[in-house]
Amino acid sequence: MTNNDKLKLAQNIALIAGIFCTAVAILLLLNFWQVSKSDPIESKALEALVQRLKQEPNNEELKAEIRAFDLLARKAYFNSQWQVKTGAYLILFGAVVLAFALRVYYSSKSKIEEPDAKLENEIAGRILAQKGIIVVGLVVMALAVVAGFATVNHLKDYDTVSLVAENEANTPEEQIEMIEVGQNPVTGNTPSEPAVDEVVEQVNQEETAIAEQPGAEKEVAVETPKEVVETKAPEKTAPAASGLTLAILKANHNSFRGPLGQGVSYAKNIPTEWNGAAGTNVLWKSPIPKHGFNSPVIWGDKIFIAGADNSAREVYCYDRNTGKLLWTGVANNIQGSPAAMPKVTPDTGLSAPSLTTDGKAVFAIFASGDLIAFDMNGKRLWARNLGVPNNHYGHSSSLITWAGKLFVQYDTNRGGKVLALNNTSGETLWETTRACKISWASPVLGEVDGKYQLLLTSDPIVAGYNIETGEELWQVECMMGEVGPSVAFSEGMVFAANEYARLVAIDPKTASVVWENDEYLPEAASPLAYNGLLFIATSYGVLVCYDTKTGEQYWEDDLGTTLYSSPVTADGKLFMMDNDGVMHVYEFGKELKKISENELGEHSGPTPAFADGRIYIRGDKNLYCIGK
Amino acid sequence: MNQKTDIENSYEPRVKSCESLVISHQSSVKDTEYCDWKLAVLKYAKFALFSFAFFLSTFSLTAQQQRFPKPEFDSGYTQPSPVTPEPRALALEYFDVLVLLLVLSAATWLALKSRSRQGILWLSVFTLAYFGFYRNGCICSIGSIQNVTLTLFDATYAISLTALLFFLLPLLFTLFFGRTFCAGACPLGAIQDVVVMKPISLPKWLNKTLGLIPYLYLSLAVLFAATGTDFIICRYDPFVGIFRMDAKFHMVVLGVAFLLMGMFVARPYCRFLCPYGVLLSWMSRFSKWHLSITPSKCIQCKLCTNSCPFDAIDFPTNEKEVVKSGLGPKRFITYALIIPLWVALGVFVGAQSHTFLSKANPTVYLAELLISNPEIKNDPDNIDVQTFMSQGKTMDQLVLEAETIRSEFFTGSMIAGGFMGLVIGMTLLNTVVFRKRQDYEPHRGNCFSCARCVDYCPVEK
Repeated sequence: MTNNDKLKLAQNIALIAGIFCTAVAILLLLNFWQVSKSDPIESKALEALVQRLKQEPNNEELKAEIRAFDLLARKAYFNSQWQVKTGAYLILFGAVVLAFALRVYYSSKSKIEEPDAKLENEIAGRILAQKGIIVVGLVVMALAVVAGFATVNHLKDYDTVSLVAENEANTPEEQIEMIEVGQNPVTGNTPSEPAVDEVVEQVNQEETAIAEQPGAEKEVAVETPKEVVETKAPEKTAPAASGLTLAILKANHNSFRGPLGQGVSYAKNIPTEWNGAAGTNVLWKSPIPKHGFNSPVIWGDKIFIAGADNSAREVYCYDRNTGKLLWTGVANNIQGSPAAMPKVTPDTGLSAPSLTTDGKAVFAIFASGDLIAFDMNGKRLWARNLGVPNNHYGHSSSLITWAGKLFVQYDTNRGGKVLALNNTSGETLWETTRACKISWASPVLGEVDGKYQLLLTSDPIVAGYNIETGEELWQVECMMGEVGPSVAFSEGMVFAANEYARLVAIDPKTASVVWENDEYLPEAASPLAYNGLLFIATSYGVLVCYDTKTGEQYWEDDLGTTLYSSPVTADGKLFMMDNDGVMHVYEFGKELKKISENELGEHSGPTPAFADGRIYIRGDKNLYCIGK
Repeated sequence: MNQKTDIENSYEPRVKSCESLVISHQSSVKDTEYCDWKLAVLKYAKFALFSFAFFLSTFSLTAQQQRFPKPEFDSGYTQPSPVTPEPRALALEYFDVLVLLLVLSAATWLALKSRSRQGILWLSVFTLAYFGFYRNGCICSIGSIQNVTLTLFDATYAISLTALLFFLLPLLFTLFFGRTFCAGACPLGAIQDVVVMKPISLPKWLNKTLGLIPYLYLSLAVLFAATGTDFIICRYDPFVGIFRMDAKFHMVVLGVAFLLMGMFVARPYCRFLCPYGVLLSWMSRFSKWHLSITPSKCIQCKLCTNSCPFDAIDFPTNEKEVVKSGLGPKRFITYALIIPLWVALGVFVGAQSHTFLSKANPTVYLAELLISNPEIKNDPDNIDVQTFMSQGKTMDQLVLEAETIRSEFFTGSMIAGGFMGLVIGMTLLNTVVFRKRQDYEPHRGNCFSCARCVDYCPVEK
């Protein structure tokens, strides 16, 4: 083969390889264009079919059609992937042949050239290079400086943003405060002596009804004066429109975590030793017909719980002295109630929200959005459906009542809102949309500047609402995640916490965070604040005590169990129920002093209720009355 | 998972063999209590070597343990690996180091001893096939700069011995023999070298000016690696997508563009981008045995003047013209004196642009995104935001982290800027430095030791 033949052959091969590469490249580009134009997986036709299936969920033919279409789309997708891969290998092969042919061609053609007669002028080149380096160097530097100046440092805005938010939150709140003092008849200055007398009478009556334990009273005598001092200020509050006063509330346990939902019970002579399985100090034990995680609430001699399953939603009233089931109220035939129960997880269930009562009626809400009121004898007063809450675990926010209003925190996946309903008629008095995501926390009442506010927490805001108008008085953006724990309230301070977020102490008057911590955070248990101490119970079993003013940690106790129930204080003690049904009793103080551990004999997630000399605990299957 | 299980299974016999070794060793000790102590030591050493190898191999495997097993399919479908290239057993990684060592030695021998361009070309083809297409362009010495940087700045990151050796070996070879790594052991160089068809010579000023880019790229790569931001050398490697046959469209375009350009402007990536080339160039300047065009004495035939496609041949100095040009000591002193000014300017520019540069960091980016668009928290499609939200980290923590990274960028950008100022100053100074040269010689810093020029020299040994 002569050099010429070699040249010719290499040239022809290079030409063919070049044409081949170009053709494959064009095909690949076409394929790329086609795939990017219409992704078979994101097909609109498929989407339309899926939408149609949502309307006709039982259409088997449609399901088969969707499956066939989906398979086709996937086949088309993988086919195009195969084409790309094969095309890439073909082009690589073509390129290798082309490169080889071209190399042979050029090497056969090339001969050592004659050296250039005139070489590039080195000096001129160097001078040009100097100019080039200076110009390019300066241009690069200038570009970097311009980029620097054109860039906004958003991190600097972070503090400014929160400061502005705080200022904005402060100003309107202060203005509202001034107007309301004059307008609102329920003020801290109104005397309430008659109400206190009334309660004292009522309490005395109740006490005669209950078998008293004088020994127990002596034990707690030391703690009593403290509580009197603590509770004096709120007692100044005037009776609300419904006739419900704080003193009356304190004599009962009318909502989740007791009066005002603050986790503080004012009952005395609380037992500290019992055993559910052995029956030690168990006054009675009654089976609960239907399951639920709601905590018992007490009014007078009656104790209320609720339960539900897919077939029915029921409210149970027991005699709290004997454990006898007095009546069962069924929440059925409610307009707007869904035909099938919404899907809920077993750890929340259909009846997680606790009931509340104002002594005239008892109110219950279920995961279906059914809200119902019975009178104290089980007669149905009113019922309505608030719209099925879009909640992936199940609605769990408990009810609370005050000033003749029933408050419902209704934070769902479709957005947050809070409602106040008329206790007697069930009609909506006000409704406020909240700028927040779904939450599972319950409303708490707290007195700020002589007026009661509804205190709510969710992702991302902790906020206070005017109970008369529903107006948002303040808010602090500090929470995140799936907020389960409700707030704690003590001495004008609000404490909110959630797992994966933080624990914050908020001054609602200035809507500012006083201190915060993120070492121990609760998942389900609400914090408890009282007498300068704050308690946090984490789901992984650590109970922690902080100073409410400074956030300083006093003690922690690792129980090595799961804590979903909220800590409650009563009778100078702290009661912490774990999920295994063991109640851990501590001295309520700065030092860790464990008094006892008492087994119920069955699992328990709800928070116990207290009455003088008694603890009422809801177990998995039974309701227990602990007392001597 | 399956693949790993296979690998794990393959180590099972090793465990057994180790165990049997222990047992046999124990029994042998019992039997021959008075045997030669040297023999015992040897056995111990053998056992220790085996257990060490076993420990190393299982260590990398346990590190890759999946938390949940992947689903298995009856149809014979195998799960694709989420990592490209798939993690290798340590022994195979060391095998790669061995291959590198051999290729480096071969390239050095071919360039300096046998002076065979043909040999180096075929070695390049092997490198392209092995380190490029077979090993998917990873691990590579160029990218290892970032591993070395990260291990220096991040106490939690320990560099693998393989990466360290891939970084050090070529530098060491270059220090003694010039850039033979570029000639035959670098897959990126190889893929460009095989497509060189009709190279054109670029004017000196353009070569010098474009030669600043690798320094800029190096300083940015080190800055981003030191702050844990990104491995930009790997991310913007134009050829790795071709090696893996799975590049994104724009990277294919970039790679093909480099190759097409490379047909006429030889090795554009190596000359005007490669950050590792900067380090190699420094080393090569001090190389003890560098490739020479002529095997003995230059006869000034000028045949080699156009032989280098990379414009890396220095011509003899024309002293008369130098004296005439006025690029004398005066300009040298001026340029030397303004170097501190260049450095100061660079530091200033670095300080000014650190906010801009830090935006490349994912943490800083996320924090700024959440601050400037708080409503994005509700966007379920933004995976970064949703991941952050699900981690349960607070915004304060995120902002604090971002601020720390930004302050690192402040220091880092000033150092990078100062370095760039120094490079500009030194490059300027270099343009007025004339070394007395009588022969045609390869430029030690820029020569890739590809041995093309060797074929042009008529002088025989």
